[in-house]
Amino acid sequence: MSSILFKKFSALRFINPFQTGVLALLFTSLIVIFFASIFLGSFDFSFEELFNDSNSLDNIVLLEIRIPRVFLAAFVGASLGLSGASLQGLFRNPLADPGLIGVSAGAALGASLVIVLGSGVLPDFIFGTLILPISAIIGASLVISLLYLFTQGFGYQGITYMLLVGIAVNAFASVGIGILTYISTDSELRGLTFWTMGSFGGASWQLIMPALIIISLTMLWMIPSSRKLDLLQLGEPEAYRLGVNVKTLKFKVIISSAITVGISVSLSGMIGFVGLVVPHLVRLIGGVNHNYLLPGSALLGASLMMTADLLSRTLIQPAELPVGLITSAIGAPFFLWLIFRIRKS
Amino acid sequence: MSVETKKLTWEIKSKRIVDEISLSINQGEILTILGPNGAGKSSFLKLISGDSSETSGEVLYDDIQLCEISIQERSFMRSVMSQSQEIAYDFSVKEIIEMGWIDRGISDYSKDFENAVIQISIECSVKELLEQNFNTLSGGEKRRVHFARTLIQLWRPSGSYDPRYMLLDEPTANLDILHEQRMMKLIQKKRDEGIGVLLILHDLNLAAQYSDRIAIFKDGKLVEIGVPEKVMNEETLSSVYELQMTIDKDPFRINYY
Repeated sequence: MSSILFKKFSALRFINPFQTGVLALLFTSLIVIFFASIFLGSFDFSFEELFNDSNSLDNIVLLEIRIPRVFLAAFVGASLGLSGASLQGLFRNPLADPGLIGVSAGAALGASLVIVLGSGVLPDFIFGTLILPISAIIGASLVISLLYLFTQGFGYQGITYMLLVGIAVNAFASVGIGILTYISTDSELRGLTFWTMGSFGGASWQLIMPALIIISLTMLWMIPSSRKLDLLQLGEPEAYRLGVNVKTLKFKVIISSAITVGISVSLSGMIGFVGLVVPHLVRLIGGVNHNYLLPGSALLGASLMMTADLLSRTLIQPAELPVGLITSAIGAPFFLWLIFRIRKS
Repeated sequence: MSVETKKLTWEIKSKRIVDEISLSINQGEILTILGPNGAGKSSFLKLISGDSSETSGEVLYDDIQLCEISIQERSFMRSVMSQSQEIAYDFSVKEIIEMGWIDRGISDYSKDFENAVIQISIECSVKELLEQNFNTLSGGEKRRVHFARTLIQLWRPSGSYDPRYMLLDEPTANLDILHEQRMMKLIQKKRDEGIGVLLILHDLNLAAQYSDRIAIFKDGKLVEIGVPEKVMNEETLSSVYELQMTIDKDPFRINYY
């Protein structure tokens, strides 16, 4: 009956021309920043060497070190931006950031657990590309489910409540990581300290390829549900009445955020505030509907993260700053400003 | 065609909130539920909309069990308006109204849809508010916008006359008398177009003025159902509300003190 009439799917209708323009602009700047990030850094490429000799040091540095690193930064930024935006939609709360509410910490704890307990047992490749991300994903999804359980029924009023739960989860995770640090050996410790600061150093194609594919697939899975996240803003009962299967939607957001954040954390450690700042900026520029917000946050997240990484490796070159330090230095004051704004309204 | 309940019952902690209620809401009629607080009116509406599931009994939409209808299919058949929640982000009024439709292949009808949104926002007197931020509106204005959204939900791109129902829990709350009358007239207009309407109201005179039939609830039970003139008598109303009432015949008016 009527449903046959309505089968054809189209999400485009709910993006206005201005928003399409913003997305195009974000995409263009992403490309520009991508090439800037590739060619700027502590190693200066000579174009002559690059084109004439495919085995030159320039070529190896570019293809095996620089490009994978920039790719990783872009995908981690996109992951954090997108998961921030969709978690903020799910919790109906603009302060939901994977870092603040403890999702990244959960992922880090999951990853640290297997570093200390399992790194010696398994071959490096399988460990790095499989076991580590999976345990990070499990850690992240446990935290999101826990948060959801706690904040259910608190609805929009649950802002402070959710942040408090996040503090508890973060504290719990740092205790866990602390204990693990204490009982770990020297080589394991090196791996652990990396989680708390975040870095894109050490990215290789072999390590990041599976991650990039999974992150892309997860995004393609999540973004078509944007419209449903809009309806969810009316409240769960209301969204149901409008035809949204709320359970499926929640599951989708939780799983996709856990996967993207989990993989990101397992490859680059904890990088704070991106998931908070990026969706907020995207909303300020062009509007709050998720058909625009989700792709916009992924694009801007990627651009910002590549820029932060570029800063981290050029500010005090040839040495490097942890990238998490840079995002937090920008993000923390922004967070304060956001709280101030919410309190005023 | 109708929505029908058969011995519909909802128990919470062994207390019967809704107690074996059987009635039907026909296409093209306004059925209003009256009753004191805690009579089970809103709970009954939640069972019909599918928000909550019954302990026993059945809800049938055009002879099909509600539990056999998919969530999306339900959204084509009935729209619901009740107490609404706060919205965290700054959607425009137009965006809120458009939420009546998820996607439903809208690309083919986008022009028609655009026109329908404007048409309905004129009917609900929210046309001037369309570009405004929803969160800056007053309570009554928000109510009208949500009503426009429930109307858009049942809007059809072509002249398809499949059965549709509106379930409205105190739609006129927070409205001034002008907009209250306008909304009730609009509900009557939708009834004339063939939509079956279930209303919950507190204003007895408003109910008497606009309803085709009235159902009176008390303690989760259906006390009486029928045309206003028959059901709304001094005896029944006084005992249900535990308040002395008198009724004028011409014009029909209920007085209470």
